[in-house]
Order: sequence, then C-alpha cells, then structure tokens
Amino acid sequence: MEEAIKKEERAGSAATGIAVAVAGWIVPGLGHLLLRRWGKAAAYFVCVGGLACAGLAMRGGVFSWGDPDLFDRLGFFADLGTGGIYFCAHWIQSAGSDVAHATGDYGTRMFATAGMLNLLTVLEAFEIGLGRRI
Amino acid sequence: MSALLGSLTHFQAMVFFALTVSVTFAFLSKQSTAERVKYFLWAFVAFLMVAIGIGWLMYPFSQ
Repeated sequence: MEEAIKKEERAGSAATGIAVAVAGWIVPGLGHLLLRRWGKAAAYFVCVGGLACAGLAMRGGVFSWGDPDLFDRLGFFADLGTGGIYFCAHWIQSAGSDVAHATGDYGTRMFATAGMLNLLTVLEAFEIGLGRRI
Repeated sequence: MSALLGSLTHFQAMVFFALTVSVTFAFLSKQSTAERVKYFLWAFVAFLMVAIGIGWLMYPFSQ
C-alpha cells in the first residue's frame, strides 16, 4: 500500500515538469512549492533569493545581452538564471551598480551565483515534476 | 538593506556567500535532514578554509 502511494506520488508528466521548472525560474523555490516540497521551497527561496537580492543591494553589476565582451554575455546567462529577480533588478537596485569598489564586485559574483544556483533548483524541480526524482 | 550589506567586511560577505551556497547544495544533494546538516557543515567549513588558505597563499604577492 505504501509503495503504491509512493509510486503515485512519483508519477509525473512532461507538462508538470515544464510548469514547475518555469515557476521555479520566475521565483526561486516556487516550483518546489507547487510540488509540495515545503522545506526545499523555503530553503531555495531564502538562500537563492537572498543571495540575489544581497548581490543587488551590494550594488553588484547586472549583465545585459548587449554587452560586447564574451565573458559579459556569459555573465548575462548566469544573471538570467535568477528569473523574475533579473527583470526587477533595476527596480531593486535603484542606485545602480558600483563595481569600482570591492563590495560591488562581490555583489556581481553573488548575483551570478544566485542565477546558477537557481538553474540547478529548476532542473531538480523539472525532474521531480517528471517523476524521475523524489 | 543596501547600507547594511554595503558595509559588510570581506570576511562577512564571504561567510554570507558560503552559508547560502552550502544550504542550497545540501538541499539539492541530500534527502534526509541528518545528511543535509552534515553536508552543510562540511561544505560551509570547506568554503571558509579554502578561501582563507588561498588568501594566505596570495598574501606574499600583495606586498
């Protein structure tokens, strides 16, 4: 009986996987929240969201697609991983970036790291949605 | 918030970074609470030790 319940819980679909992946990308942890993984959802929201917001609060740089340098474009993809936070970055960071100081440089790295971490959580949510992972 | 985080020392910023990344890795890679706590502590201490170690290795070049 328990095994049947576990099997039912693990049964997923491609639609569920894609939906929770998109939700998790827009708001860190939202995908896991929809999958009723409360602990993971809270941890990802606080840690990934906190790291991204801290990066912006420290006046870290936010890369855009228009940057001419190849590494800056890679940075754009990393930053884009934060999803909704990336699109709200200029609103959250009203004073603009200041990478001339060490704090701003740390903020740039923190924001990019938050993006990469969020992509990992999105992949996990996708796999749980598919039923490949508990 | 910006003023608070903007005034962090390098070490405090590193501790905050290590804390958030370690917690995320622990939740991503481990299933049980005990395993997560153990992994978090290991990763958190490793982050700090490696950063401090590399800092000391680079110290002579800063003179």
